[in-house]
Amino acid sequence: MWAERLKNCMRIAIPPVFWLGVWQLAAFFVGRELLLPGPLAVAKALCVLAGTGDFWLSALMTLVRVFLGLAWGTAAGAALAFLTHFSRWASALLSPAVKVVRATPVVSFILLVYLWVVRAAIPAVIAGLMVLPVIWGSVTAGLAAVDPQLLEMAGAYRFSRLRTLRLIYLPSLRGHFTSGLLTAFGLAWKSGVAAEVICPPVRAIGSRLQAARLALETPELFAWTLVIIALSLLLERLLRRLLERGERA
Amino acid sequence: MIQIRDLTLRYGDKTVLDRLSLDLPDEGITALSGPSGCGKTTLLRVLAGLTPSESGAVSGVDPGRTAFLFQEDRLLPWRTVGQHIVDVLPKARRGEVPSWLAFAELEGEGGAYPAALSGGMARRLALARCAALGGDLLLLDEPFAGVDEERAGRMLERLRALDAPVILTSHQTAVLERCDAVFRLDGPPLRLV
Repeated sequence: MWAERLKNCMRIAIPPVFWLGVWQLAAFFVGRELLLPGPLAVAKALCVLAGTGDFWLSALMTLVRVFLGLAWGTAAGAALAFLTHFSRWASALLSPAVKVVRATPVVSFILLVYLWVVRAAIPAVIAGLMVLPVIWGSVTAGLAAVDPQLLEMAGAYRFSRLRTLRLIYLPSLRGHFTSGLLTAFGLAWKSGVAAEVICPPVRAIGSRLQAARLALETPELFAWTLVIIALSLLLERLLRRLLERGERA
Repeated sequence: MIQIRDLTLRYGDKTVLDRLSLDLPDEGITALSGPSGCGKTTLLRVLAGLTPSESGAVSGVDPGRTAFLFQEDRLLPWRTVGQHIVDVLPKARRGEVPSWLAFAELEGEGGAYPAALSGGMARRLALARCAALGGDLLLLDEPFAGVDEERAGRMLERLRALDAPVILTSHQTAVLERCDAVFRLDGPPLRLV
């Protein structure tokens, strides 16, 4: 029992300790904090940052922007998927446009959107643009996979369109939508922060990242990167749990 | 009387209905019996308006007022037994759910999901859902497949009590014996034996 627990603890603890050791060794051999700070220097920078109100406000604002982007991108992607699934004309017109959005590099979008949108709104716009084709693709695939026998049953049993949507389409789409949303969240997070770096708003993780780079504060740069990774992992886990709970309900 | 005249239907090269003419009773329980693949299901689907015929005419049936039981159960994995009945009932009739569960002998299973049901239970639920939907004519494709004979007999009597004409397909002797009229068919193309 105890031996098993110890084994489990070791399995969890050893990989991070190993990689922290590799990082520390690499920093030791490089020997210049400007190029590669060690984990202790980064932890110190992180502690200093976490003690300021600006740190929490920046993180909060980035979260708000990314979730705004995720929300509008998800809504637009799902709506477009229904439109292109049920209307041949809409599909002929919109499907190529969505595919172009999917194929366009995020940096091109950031620079283009910079010309058209106020700076504070750019990260949310970009995050949404990255989310839209992913959700469109997963919902479209889900719609194509809805069991035609169930749809025929709905017609024969005189279900209204709304009831067919609620009882057949939406539950059938759940799996495709969930996996699409998890992928989209990762993209929204990365593209949103990238937009903040290129077009820095007043309070944002990306702005702080850029400021640290310009000031050659490499430990701070690493600290913000760690924050981005930690928030991404944490939020993805939260989102996954929420979606799993929704599926069970 | 349900009058079928010169009904023709082909699936690719296969002629399933070839100028079929038949008079079916519009009361009581009528059975169509014949080997698998002879065209019984196709005939029921044409009567229900689910499959259009290429030519011919049917009178005495309003496809918009029939209730059709598919050969497959077509249950929704995410809906409970009780919800399947609720889904076909108008709001004013929601109180009938317990009596439809009793019709299918599924009392106590109202909260179960289809995955937890046996094949026979799922079939009974599909039949109860179809009967609860109701209509001027019940068209039932193999309603008692996987249901034991004794229970099938009880359910057949409950169907009779609904007072709506029923046309069903079946291979089960015990079911055929209880029907008011039995049409022996062969095919394809579908024809009276």
